[in-house]
Amino acid sequence: MSWLPVSSAATLQAIIAIASKDLLVEQRTKTAFFSSLVFAILVLTVLYFARDKTSVGDLDLAPGALWVTFTFAGMLGLNRAFVLERENRAMDGVRLTPATPTAIFLGKVVGSLVFVGTVELVSLPVFILFYDVPIWRELPILILVIALATMGFVSVGTLFASMVVRTRFSEVMLPVLMLPFLFPPVVAAVQLTRGILAHRPLSEYSGWLSLLAAFVIIFSTFSLFLFEAILEE
Amino acid sequence: MPHAEPAVAVRGVSRRFGHRWVLRNVSMDVAPGEAVLLVGGNGAGKTTLLRVVSGLLRPNKGEVALGGTVGMVAHHTMMYDALTAHENLTFFASLHGLRIRARIGELLERMGLAHVANERIGTFSRGMLQRLAIARALMPEPRVLLLDEPLTGLDDAASRTVIGVLDTLEEQGVAMMIATHQLVELVGTAARVGYMVSGKLAALEQCGGEAGQVVERYRELVAGE
Repeated sequence: MSWLPVSSAATLQAIIAIASKDLLVEQRTKTAFFSSLVFAILVLTVLYFARDKTSVGDLDLAPGALWVTFTFAGMLGLNRAFVLERENRAMDGVRLTPATPTAIFLGKVVGSLVFVGTVELVSLPVFILFYDVPIWRELPILILVIALATMGFVSVGTLFASMVVRTRFSEVMLPVLMLPFLFPPVVAAVQLTRGILAHRPLSEYSGWLSLLAAFVIIFSTFSLFLFEAILEE
Repeated sequence: MPHAEPAVAVRGVSRRFGHRWVLRNVSMDVAPGEAVLLVGGNGAGKTTLLRVVSGLLRPNKGEVALGGTVGMVAHHTMMYDALTAHENLTFFASLHGLRIRARIGELLERMGLAHVANERIGTFSRGMLQRLAIARALMPEPRVLLLDEPLTGLDDAASRTVIGVLDTLEEQGVAMMIATHQLVELVGTAARVGYMVSGKLAALEQCGGEAGQVVERYRELVAGE
């Protein structure tokens, strides 16, 4: 296999085909989506009822609750993206086509972005409902932060999911391997969310935004280039 | 050899997993329109050789040159149970850059699967899956076809269908490497037989469709090992 692009049109066609196939399989089985959604709602609910409202305010708990929910719910979806390739060794069939590792990686990332994004989209109203946070005015910047963090999370997660899928306990291995790498973007996303929900000026948390953007760029590139080696047995 | 340029040229290929060498210095050519059977006991290196030739595995030593597109049929279908036969083929056609709906229909028809084109393959029998896997492998009109145990789990009728397809492909100039334990059934399809023992190609001989002769050589070279 080669990193040289066959052609941009062929690469784009392969990316769309892989992402569409992943989403079609998920739409047929629905297992991962409902698992992730139920998990997300459960975590938000448990954290809401577990706190003492007199000592922990909404704004203190909400950013952490949001990102714990998104991070772990997303992991369920990332694992699914490669488990379906393990069945019948379908990834071998994909590798026998002219699709480049770049196209395969980006196809997987796009499919997982749609999946994780949908879970986030559905659980966000539950978060708003429970935590009574003044979100509407700040919604565009909050969505930008969520999109950025999700992009970084999915890129790194796609790489690690492709690594652990051949192991017997991939569902357990994925969080164990991924979480140390997710520490910087999740902390940055929590700090940014805290600043946004507290209506702080952007200048106060722009450092976290830079850290998050740097993580996304560096780790997405890193994951893209490592993916070919992972595809090889 | 009927052609000067081989469709498959394997040169001194060795492959190891960890410290164990699974292929040792294997060299062979396959001409266009020629089918070569690879026979040997379990762990002899047949599947690994096919995976190296396909490009799924890199050799630790040696090299492989192919004279055209490669298709592969393996133990696994390499397809998605949740998708229909038509959706699976459409997906792989997209990855090959093909947009030929007619070709998908023609392949399903040829494999006797047109009537189940819109059914999920998770419900298919072993024979249907194997025929669909061949349809997937034939999608890009390969010049080289690699088959790993193509008759395993098939009944007589399904085996005859698959053997008929292989004979047609041979006439069309497709080079084939077929790893199998069912050498009696497939010996009529092959021009030569490669006997593999402990990762080495112990012999590569003309077989002339003579099952008795091949079985005798198998006992001598492989079973006696």
